Amino acid sequence: MAPGALSDERDVREAYAAHAGELYGFALRSLGDSGLAEEAVQETFLRAWRAGSRFDPQIGSLRTWLFAILRNVVIDLGRARASRPTVAEGGIEPSVEPFEEALLSWQVEEAMRRIGEQHRRVLLETYYRGRPYAEVAAELGVPEGTVKSRVYYGLRALRVALEEIGYDD
Amino acid sequence: MTTERCREWRESLGALALGQLPEDERAALEAHVDGCAECRAELESLSVVAQLLPLANPAHFGTAPAPPPALADRVAATIRAERRSQRRRRLRRGLAFSGATAAVAAAALAIFVLPGGNGAPEQHVAFGGLPSGLKIAATLEPHAYGTEIHMYVKGAPSGTLCRVFVRGPQGIRESAGSFRYRWGDDSDAVLSAALDLSRTRAIGVRVGKRTFVARVRA
Repeated sequence: MAPGALSDERDVREAYAAHAGELYGFALRSLGDSGLAEEAVQETFLRAWRAGSRFDPQIGSLRTWLFAILRNVVIDLGRARASRPTVAEGGIEPSVEPFEEALLSWQVEEAMRRIGEQHRRVLLETYYRGRPYAEVAAELGVPEGTVKSRVYYGLRALRVALEEIGYDD
Repeated sequence: MTTERCREWRESLGALALGQLPEDERAALEAHVDGCAECRAELESLSVVAQLLPLANPAHFGTAPAPPPALADRVAATIRAERRSQRRRRLRRGLAFSGATAAVAAAALAIFVLPGGNGAPEQHVAFGGLPSGLKIAATLEPHAYGTEIHMYVKGAPSGTLCRVFVRGPQGIRESAGSFRYRWGDDSDAVLSAALDLSRTRAIGVRVGKRTFVARVRA
């Protein structure tokens, strides 16, 4: 068996502890349904265990490998759901975004959750809510210049967080 | 361009990348950026991040959703079930092999060794010389606590009590527990014995009133 193979139950438990949260978060973002997201994570670890001897840490990280498996699982689940008849007309069916776009969205959101509250706040208020710097500065009780520099350091922190979670431009 | 001066400009680069600067400030900063390679590189790098922002939904900036704690157990259970069914397939292959060689095998023997968990060898043991219709096989797996034993019996009367034991050097005998064989039950009994696999010389099972022993390869 190859060194670093994910063939032991203990290896799988460790991989689960390290990555299940992210995999679930992304599956939920992508599938829009917590039941399906759980199914996707379960299936991902089962496939990872079956193919454990094919995992080679020389080629890529365990995280990258698990996300590659999840990608296929999500596509399969999306396909299965698409072929299922819709139960109620007009019912809200979560959209199945193309995988790469969903992954990017999730990565940016995950990066946002990782940066400091002060940085996230100014990006939220000035960018997403489109509020003027003066208004945000008054609300936070800081000079406008501080809002501006927090936007700058916020974007930098976001860049670092994106690199951490595997965004590759 | 002094570093201190650059720092002042630089802290406005985020606002520039996001298109948030008033016209006059924007023009002045762009003039600086045009003449400063470092600030230009920084602006380009920030612009990559800025272009990604529209993809995110701010409603998801709160706490990341966590999988339910029970999911970890379900994943572990799924893998254990898969592992058991793989093992059963291997046991059946082992039985087919032992059936073919039963005529030649005067005594039971260990027939092959499979790689098991932790990279340590998992021993597959087939019992030979059995009465017609009875099949017995076992898989032994090393653990820190001793040996895990998967016992597969087929063809005894339903309800038959089976007691399993292992033997070590100098006649050491350690019980591995008991189970009842039931017709139609296609599962293997999972047992354990406090004797290291490396010291296990033989495995035995008393099926009803008869005892069968198979040698375990050291």
